[in-house]
Amino acid sequence: MDLIINILSMTVPFSVALLLASIGEMFNQRSGVFNLGCEGVMAMGAFLGMLVPFMVGHGGPVSNGWNWLGLLLAALVGALLGLFFGVIVVTFRAPQGIAGIGLQMFGVGTAGTLFRHFVGGTQSIPGMANTPIPVLSRIPVIGPIFFSHNLMVYLAFLFVPVAWYILFKTSWGLKVRAVGTHPRAADSMGINVNRTRYEALALGGALAGLAGAYLSVCQVKMFSDELIAGRGFIAVALVYFGHWHPVKIMGGALLFSFAQTIQYNVQGLGIDLPYEFFVMLPYVVVVVVLAFTSRNQTTSPSALGKPFNREIRT
Amino acid sequence: MKRLIITLMVLLALAPFTIFAGGASEESAGGDGGYKVALIIENTIDDKGWCQSMYEGLVGAQEQLPGAFTFEYSEKMTTVDSESIARQYIADGFDLIIAHGAQYKNMVTDLAAEFPDVSFAFGTSSDIVGDNVFTYMPESEETGYLSGIIAGMLTKKNNIGLVGPVDSGDAARYNRGFVMGVEAVNPDAVVNVAYTGSFSDYVKSAELATTQINAGADVLTGSSQQAIGALRACAEYDDVLWLGQDLAQLDTPEGQAKCVAASSYNYTAVVVGLIESLDEGVKGGVCIPMNFNNGGFVFDYNPALSSLVTDEIRAKVDEALASFEASAGVLADWADVQI
Repeated sequence: MDLIINILSMTVPFSVALLLASIGEMFNQRSGVFNLGCEGVMAMGAFLGMLVPFMVGHGGPVSNGWNWLGLLLAALVGALLGLFFGVIVVTFRAPQGIAGIGLQMFGVGTAGTLFRHFVGGTQSIPGMANTPIPVLSRIPVIGPIFFSHNLMVYLAFLFVPVAWYILFKTSWGLKVRAVGTHPRAADSMGINVNRTRYEALALGGALAGLAGAYLSVCQVKMFSDELIAGRGFIAVALVYFGHWHPVKIMGGALLFSFAQTIQYNVQGLGIDLPYEFFVMLPYVVVVVVLAFTSRNQTTSPSALGKPFNREIRT
Repeated sequence: MKRLIITLMVLLALAPFTIFAGGASEESAGGDGGYKVALIIENTIDDKGWCQSMYEGLVGAQEQLPGAFTFEYSEKMTTVDSESIARQYIADGFDLIIAHGAQYKNMVTDLAAEFPDVSFAFGTSSDIVGDNVFTYMPESEETGYLSGIIAGMLTKKNNIGLVGPVDSGDAARYNRGFVMGVEAVNPDAVVNVAYTGSFSDYVKSAELATTQINAGADVLTGSSQQAIGALRACAEYDDVLWLGQDLAQLDTPEGQAKCVAASSYNYTAVVVGLIESLDEGVKGGVCIPMNFNNGGFVFDYNPALSSLVTDEIRAKVDEALASFEASAGVLADWADVQI
């Protein structure tokens, strides 16, 4: 029982960066823009998120407000990078896949360069402490799994229904889905396709930046050039996994982190299998589930990856 | 208007690289004269691990052999990119190219055959791949053994965590030496060995350490640069201690708080050996072992946590250390340890 509680209580906080980044990517893709640059935006967010508390405290303790300011700055710069990406793929209609790879390289490279200049070598910060919720955190089993984490964990999971509401119950969400599904029809109804896509990219970028900052400020509490280590690409995969639906994406993020945490625990049980098998387990799980669920892709935005030009009939 | 926006975007994209072009990605260290040495590394010179130790080895060797050589370095060189920069160094007349990682073996082997007048070195490896290629192999089971003794005697729960990168090279030797050290002093203790599958995924190593701590581990260790993530995770818990595989970890706030002792690779001895070999006209074909016997390792306690190190622990460590310093190959059966 302790093992199960241990696995589940780790699964929840470990999934948050993927959850935030993939929901951000979901907004991008729902608007018809495929953003492979998520990794780069996360890297910039991770750097800027830790930069604020580091500069203020020189690696020592700071008041929690500085951590929040770091997270806010990461989200803001993430939004700006989303808009920057929008200029390339929405205004100039550059191929989205290639531009996304460019953004990924730009973000990772710039974060690393700025980090070396302003901080130096691999650096840790005290970061954000856990805030167990009174009473709830003492409930057996449920308490340690759901209510003993830092505030960003709670906010990230609370954002899932908010994202669902925004996407499916607001006029802006309807616009996002419209421009991602049939931009010409949306345009004919008076929806500004480009502006809607810019807005979705800004929101997606902000969430990706926040996801990166979560890693550096709340989870690992340090930064190095390779901190993100491919998690941006996993976030993109989770959007497909979750069929562009925030709740299903949350399920995907939890499943991936669950598999990851299981393999961490199982490696220590002395099972006579090569450790490489356990290390690849989370990725195999995602690929297998993706293979089985991708047969029903009716919810995919049909204009995904297609630049919109209102002067050209397609 | 579009041209203006494109121009501004290009300038914006290039600005950081232009502003910081004079940064630390590659710079000369030391004075003129002597051999020209190049260092190629996959991470950075301040990663508090693998790459930093070789960089510091070069700096230390320069202090021991003033004027004997100058060096330049290239950071963040993937295996694919390394050949390009190595060829550039060769074209610039460098005498010795150190590619610091076993992943560079194929690149070094190919270039060594093509440029027999240039010396190369890479490690960790004990293979002899050419007359102009040096290799170096840290016999890390010795450093692991010392850490294992301390961990085995410090653990109160008899539950020890080991965060490994991959099960190969010097990491495999360190891990097995660590298990041998624990078994020598505390046969009841369990060492939970797990791997992240990466040398530089700090997040995974932190997650793995957190998982092990929640599963009951009260003393942990780990190797390669990723270990910093695991050490940082230990700092979140009051009653958890760490044994380091790099003395640079003691300089970090979390190392000061959690790292009881650490061993480090002393690449100064390796580099001095390489330069002296070049002086003698030997361009390669030699594997340089690293152990306490030849000064290839350094071990030290963390003064901030000296109260934790009992006389009994010190005596056990001193005994093992003395045997390692007296002769190499004391733990020759390290490979028999099943993990």
